[in-house]
Amino acid sequence: MKTYVLNLAIHPPATRIGGKRLEELVFDVTRQALAAAGVEREEVDNVTIAGCDELDGRSISSMLLAMPAGAYMKDEIKCTDTGLYALLLGAMRIESGLHDIGLVVSWNKSSTAPFEDVMLMRCDPFFVRPVGLNASIADGLFAQAMAGKFGITEDEANEATLRAYARAVHNTRAVDRGIPTPAGIANSPYVSFPLRQGHQAPLTDGAVAMVLVSERWLARHPQYQPLARLAGFGWRTDGYSLGADRLSNLRSLHRCIEDASKRAGLHGLDDVDVLEFDCQTGYHAAAYSRALGLAEDARVGPSGGAFAQNPYFCTGLVNAAEAVLQVSGTAGAVQVPGARRALAHASHGFAQQANGAAIFEKVN
Amino acid sequence: MQNIPVAITGVGQTRFKIHHADKTYVELAQDAARLALDHAGLEPGEIDAVVFSMAPTQFMGINDADRWAVEHIWGEDKPFMRVHTGGATGGSALQAAYYHVASGLYRNVLVVGADRVAETPDAQHILNLIWDRFYEFDFALNTVTMAAMAGQRHMHRYGVTQEQCARVVVRARRHAQKNPYAHLKGDITVDDVLNSPIISWPLRRFDICPRSSGAAALVVSDLSTARRSTTKPAFINGVSSITHTVFMGDRMGYRAEADLSDHDAFIRAAQECYHQAGIVDPAKQIQVAELYDPFSFFQFPQLESLGFCGRGEAAGISDQGGFDPGGLVAVNLSGGTLCTNPIGVTGLVRVADAALQVMGDAGENQQQDVHNAVATSIGGSTQFLTCTILGDDHIGRK
Repeated sequence: MKTYVLNLAIHPPATRIGGKRLEELVFDVTRQALAAAGVEREEVDNVTIAGCDELDGRSISSMLLAMPAGAYMKDEIKCTDTGLYALLLGAMRIESGLHDIGLVVSWNKSSTAPFEDVMLMRCDPFFVRPVGLNASIADGLFAQAMAGKFGITEDEANEATLRAYARAVHNTRAVDRGIPTPAGIANSPYVSFPLRQGHQAPLTDGAVAMVLVSERWLARHPQYQPLARLAGFGWRTDGYSLGADRLSNLRSLHRCIEDASKRAGLHGLDDVDVLEFDCQTGYHAAAYSRALGLAEDARVGPSGGAFAQNPYFCTGLVNAAEAVLQVSGTAGAVQVPGARRALAHASHGFAQQANGAAIFEKVN
Repeated sequence: MQNIPVAITGVGQTRFKIHHADKTYVELAQDAARLALDHAGLEPGEIDAVVFSMAPTQFMGINDADRWAVEHIWGEDKPFMRVHTGGATGGSALQAAYYHVASGLYRNVLVVGADRVAETPDAQHILNLIWDRFYEFDFALNTVTMAAMAGQRHMHRYGVTQEQCARVVVRARRHAQKNPYAHLKGDITVDDVLNSPIISWPLRRFDICPRSSGAAALVVSDLSTARRSTTKPAFINGVSSITHTVFMGDRMGYRAEADLSDHDAFIRAAQECYHQAGIVDPAKQIQVAELYDPFSFFQFPQLESLGFCGRGEAAGISDQGGFDPGGLVAVNLSGGTLCTNPIGVTGLVRVADAALQVMGDAGENQQQDVHNAVATSIGGSTQFLTCTILGDDHIGRK
C-alpha cells in the first residue's frame, strides 16, 4: 500500500476533560497533528472523520465538529462505526489516487454521555431492547462465551486486567490513575456475570488526529519523513443476533486480521512486533490472546490499551496512534525495542459485532 | 497513481411513501438490496463489501439500525461501514463506495440504506437537535426555517418570485407521475402551490418536500464486473464534496467566502468533479441533472453554481422550460427531492435516478442520448455538499 502516516496527535486524555467544549478538543488535536506534521491546513485535500452522534449528543455531530477537524471547504466524509474506520476510509481515499494528503480525526467525550442508555438504544425495539441489553450485559455474555470456549477463569481475567493497568502506568499518554489492587478487581461487584466492574476499562475523554499522505506526495516533498507506512488493513462484521455461535466464534476478529496481514504481505502475527487490541474488559484481553495464540506475549498491548485511555468510540484510533509511535520508535517509556511492524485493532457493536485491524510498518 | 474505472452496475429502490406498515426498517433495506443485486445480475456472495447509508438514527429511534440490518442485506462476514453526513449521506455513501473500488481493494460494493422519516412524531424536532446547543437550539431553527431564511435572501438578491418557485413544484410533481417509486406526484397548478398554507415564509407547504419512508441501494463495481454484468453501466467519472461552516451567519456579508443563498460552495465541488470527468461545458456535455432540492428554490442556486447558467438566471430559464426534457439540461426527471425525501438515502436516490438515465433504464422518464449526468446532495445546515458525475463511458483521470 502507498499510504503513510506523516504525523499525528493524541489529545491528553482524562476521565473528564471539563475545560473544553467538544469542538475545542477536536480543534486542538487537529491543530497539533498539523503542527507536528509541519503542514498547513490549506495543503490538506481531504478530511475523513469518525464520530458517534449518540455519544456526542447531537443528531448530526459533524455539523459542529467537521470544521474544527479541519474540514472547512474541504472534501470531507464521516463514518460512524469506530475511530479506526476513519483511518481505513481515509487510506482508501489516498489509495484511489484521487487524494494526496488527508486528515483523519476522531474523538469522544464519554464523560458527557449517558453511556449505557445510548448502548441500550442500539437494540432493535422488538426482541432485544425489552431484555435490557446494554454494553455491560453484552460484554458479560461475551465473557461467558469465552469462559466456555477457552476455559478462561476469573483469575485469568483479573490477571489480564492487572497486566494492562501495569503497562498503562508507564505510558505517558495514559490517564494517571495507578494500578488497582488484585483484591480490588477480584472483589469488585459483578456487573454481568462473570464480568466484574473491575474488569472493565474505565471510560475516558480523548481525541486523535493523523495526517495521511500518499507515496506520490512524499516523492514531491522529500524533506518530510513520515512516521510509518500503512502496510495493510481490513475490517469485517458479524451478524447482529447474539447467538452462542456469534458470541464465541470471533470470526470477524480473525478475518480482519487475515485481510490486513495479507495486504501487508505477512504470513501471520508472528511477523508483527507490537499488537494493540481494543480490549474493553480483562476478558477481552484474555480471549484475544487465547484465540490468536498470544498468551503471555510481551508484544501485546504495551500501551495499556483501553486501560490507559478509553474514549470509547475513538479507542481503536488511539491504538493506531500507539502502533504508529511504536514503529517510529517514539513510543517513549512503553517503546518495544526494535519494533518494525505494529497492528492496531478496534471493535464495535454489541459484543464485538465488527472488528477492524491496521498494520503499520517502519519507514527506513 | 490508481485510475481504476468504477461504475454503477445495479440500482434498487422501493416505493417511497409515508409509512411501510408491513415492513421493518431492515426488511426495507433488504428489499432495495435485492433489487439492486438483481439489476446488476449479481448474487449476494459476489458482493465484497457494504457501505450503509443512514442519517440521524433518531428518526427510527434505534442507534444501531445499520448493524441490525447486517444479516438482512447479506453483509455478514463482509467489510461493512456506515457513512453519515446528514442529508448528504447518500451522496457521501456512494463516494465512500467509489473509494472502496477505486483503491483497488474491492470489486463489488453494495451501498444500501433506508429511512422511515415519518415514523418520528416530529421530524423537524429531531432536526432542531442538529444545531448548536448554546447559540441556535432555542430559536425554532430547523431545516424548514433554515431554508426559508436562505430562500428569502435568494429571492431578494435575484428577484426570484414565489410563482417561479411554484413552477418548479408543478414540474416536479408532473415528472414524478412517471416515476413508480416517487412519493408525491400529480397534476397540480401554480395556484395550488401558492394557495397552500405558509409554513415559514416564503415556503408554503407545497414548496417543501415530504417525509418519506423507503430504501435504496446501488451496486458499485470495477470495470470487469461492470462489462460482464450489464451492457450499459454508469461510470462514476467524478466525485467531490465540500464541507462548509455550520454557521449560516458566516455565509453572508463581505467576509464570507461563499453565500448561504447561492449554494456557491458547489462551484468548487463542481470544478473538481468536472476536472475529473473531462467536463468543460456542463450545459453542452451534461444531459441530466438530479439535484437535491427539498425546497422549491433550491434548484436555482445549484444550477447556477454547477455552471449551467449565470448567477440569477436559473429562475428565468426555468420559466421558459430550459430545465425540461429537450431544454438546456433535464432537471429532476424523477420528481426529485421535492417529491421524495427519505433523508438518509435521498442522496443515494439522486445518484440512482441519474444512473438509471445513463444506463437507459429510466422507464417512462428516460431522456434520449444521455451521456453524462450530475447528481448532488446537501446535508447539515446546507453545509455538506456532494457532487457526482456519471457517464456512459469511463473517463480516465489526467
